Amino acid sequence: MGTTMSRLATERPGSTLTFRQKLSNLDFKASPYLYISPFFILFGLLGLFPIIYTVNVSLYEWDLLKGQGDFIGIENYVTTLTDPLFWNAFFNTISIFLLSAVPQLIFATIIAALLDQAIRASTFWRMSVLLPYIAAPVAVAVIFSQVFNQFGGPITGVLETLGLDPIRWGYDVLPSHIAIASMVNWRWTGYNALILLAAMQAVPRDIYESAALDGAGRIRRFWSITIPMIRPTMIFVIITSTVGGLQIFTEPKLFDGQSNGGPNRQFQTIVLYLYEMAFPRRDFGRAAATAWILFLIIVLIGLINYALSRAIASQDVRRTVRAPRDAALDLKGARR
Amino acid sequence: MRISRPIAATAIASAAALSLVLTGCTTGPSSEGEDITLTITTFGTMGIDANYEAYEAANPGVTIEATNLESGGAARDDAYAKIAAGTGLSDVVAIEEGWLSTIREVSDAFVDLRDYGIEESDWLGWKYAQGTDADGRVFGAGLDIGPQGLCFRGDLLQAAGLPGDRAGFAEALGGENATWESFFEFGQKYTAASGKPFFHNPSFMWNSFVNQQDEGYYKKDGETLNIEGNEAMKAQLDLIVQNANIGAGLEAWNVGEQAKADEFAVYVCPSWMLGVVSGYYDAGTTGSGWDFADVLPGGAANWGGAFLGVSESSENKEAAAKFALWLAAPEQQAASFEAAGPFPSRTAGQELVAGTTSAFFNDAPIGEIFANRAQGVVAQVKGPEDSNIQDNVFGPVLNSISQGEITSGDAAWEAALTNLKNLGIE
Repeated sequence: MGTTMSRLATERPGSTLTFRQKLSNLDFKASPYLYISPFFILFGLLGLFPIIYTVNVSLYEWDLLKGQGDFIGIENYVTTLTDPLFWNAFFNTISIFLLSAVPQLIFATIIAALLDQAIRASTFWRMSVLLPYIAAPVAVAVIFSQVFNQFGGPITGVLETLGLDPIRWGYDVLPSHIAIASMVNWRWTGYNALILLAAMQAVPRDIYESAALDGAGRIRRFWSITIPMIRPTMIFVIITSTVGGLQIFTEPKLFDGQSNGGPNRQFQTIVLYLYEMAFPRRDFGRAAATAWILFLIIVLIGLINYALSRAIASQDVRRTVRAPRDAALDLKGARR
Repeated sequence: MRISRPIAATAIASAAALSLVLTGCTTGPSSEGEDITLTITTFGTMGIDANYEAYEAANPGVTIEATNLESGGAARDDAYAKIAAGTGLSDVVAIEEGWLSTIREVSDAFVDLRDYGIEESDWLGWKYAQGTDADGRVFGAGLDIGPQGLCFRGDLLQAAGLPGDRAGFAEALGGENATWESFFEFGQKYTAASGKPFFHNPSFMWNSFVNQQDEGYYKKDGETLNIEGNEAMKAQLDLIVQNANIGAGLEAWNVGEQAKADEFAVYVCPSWMLGVVSGYYDAGTTGSGWDFADVLPGGAANWGGAFLGVSESSENKEAAAKFALWLAAPEQQAASFEAAGPFPSRTAGQELVAGTTSAFFNDAPIGEIFANRAQGVVAQVKGPEDSNIQDNVFGPVLNSISQGEITSGDAAWEAALTNLKNLGIE
């Protein structure tokens, strides 16, 4: 009753409007949604639907070729979480992630700080650090696989001339992780450096000047002004490299094309484990369960990273000025 | 591989001529009157690429678009994904024996070649049976079989004071009665004399051994596992561990650089492996030292071999089936053998290559040798997880042995059983 009444009440003044006015009203109210709808329609089709469908698949016995089988509830999750091969993949992923994310962020910050100085031909230098990002990951993986080739690779050659034993890059756990992490670092360090550089450029110069007048040296200014001021961007970079680092696939897959992450799974990551489940082993149900477990792991580690990076920089922020959040927000928009 | 016999050219020419005659019966360049494109996906070194042009020349209006994937494993993942998606398979798909049993379970993704005139009597009986499913539908036309001999470096053996000629090497291993024990004994002598490793990686010997057994990873019903409590397999693994000292510790595949650097002297060679070994060297190489002997320790065995299936989703099934059956015809099987070594699975094809020699392998009479090596081959029943077991149960164990990380037969066997349990194969 009440709704009918209110609808009548709102319709009454509307009825006095002309058709064109109504159309213009509709345009005003509906158009913004129309403009943003392509993203949401595509996201629904290519993002949301597969994500939800994956839950469905993960609850069934599901053969890649023969299709859906019996409903088995959470059994796929239980089998995956009790599979020693899954945990092997988990630790490999964490190891490669740490070996790539940590040096990557340190070097990206240093490079950004250097590029932030007044240097000649700054655009040239800035473009140069982005060059590795342009190369296709497959090409990078192929080239690095040659460099890190135990048999006749250039590193082996150098070691031999020094009279040292060759390193079994493709066989031993830690060397293989280092080789793969170096491919990731090669690709992403420059990219992250540019994002951090943009944040650094947004830091007001007068703060540096007054700090310099107060007698703060370069390093002190970097730690007490730059780092706290770029904190939101730093968090953004850390979160995106967490998401990327935990989903690493191309590099370990191509590092040894014959296997799924090494002859004895020395560098099988979670996504490679998922791939092995889905294709060579044809167990789509368990592949789907693995995908969801990976999603939860990423969310968890993302939250931990967020908390950590907040804690690291927040005290400094209170001592200095509030960080210019707008700069960081602009960046987020630019990345899309 | 360089072909020294005139029959190579004759075979290819006659194949082309034959198809010209066959298609020439129809009126005009193309009886259907329209241009069609046929897609084909192959893997590794199958030696059939050169046949495409002959087919195009003989069938105006037909264009062949070929995709060659680097390995059987890549072709397997590719085919699985496309069958699962229900779309995207090439018109003609090459299927490897290792994952044929999985394809057999979903064989309705491929046409029944009996509808397009395949004849059982043309093929070796066991090969034809492998490409047939439980309902009697023929989903794969046999291309090559994998009888095995030994590729060896005559020059290196000779330098070590051992017999380096074909007959002498075979005789030293025990000839027809050669065993894996005598093979490794010979290898120990080689390493002792030369100081160099004898073989590159134990996985090839292991696979050959498994293929030689009456029952492989599965019992004859194709469903029951045949691994736990298998004393023969355990003993072989033990033998491999004991002789790991004469292995080079290399990877199983892609060892071209090491082959050229004389880092090993013997290679277990199924027919399709000849093209891989010669592919390590520049085309036309002779005098590399490689030779091919008519001997296999442990007796005759087949390893691998390919089939051609025509996908049900093809838009030109008729033309695709004609193309696939043409590629599997004796003349083309012979041409592939001449080009890369895969041995014909049709007796008529085997007769065509009876006199073929290989210049790369020191003019070895490979046609004759493979015909000998194919004698007594019995197709082993493969189960659904066969390639998974080979890659993920024993593969890692053999790698660990090869790298000196597993040093006792018992530990190797335990590791294999653990892998089997971890993979949940039952």
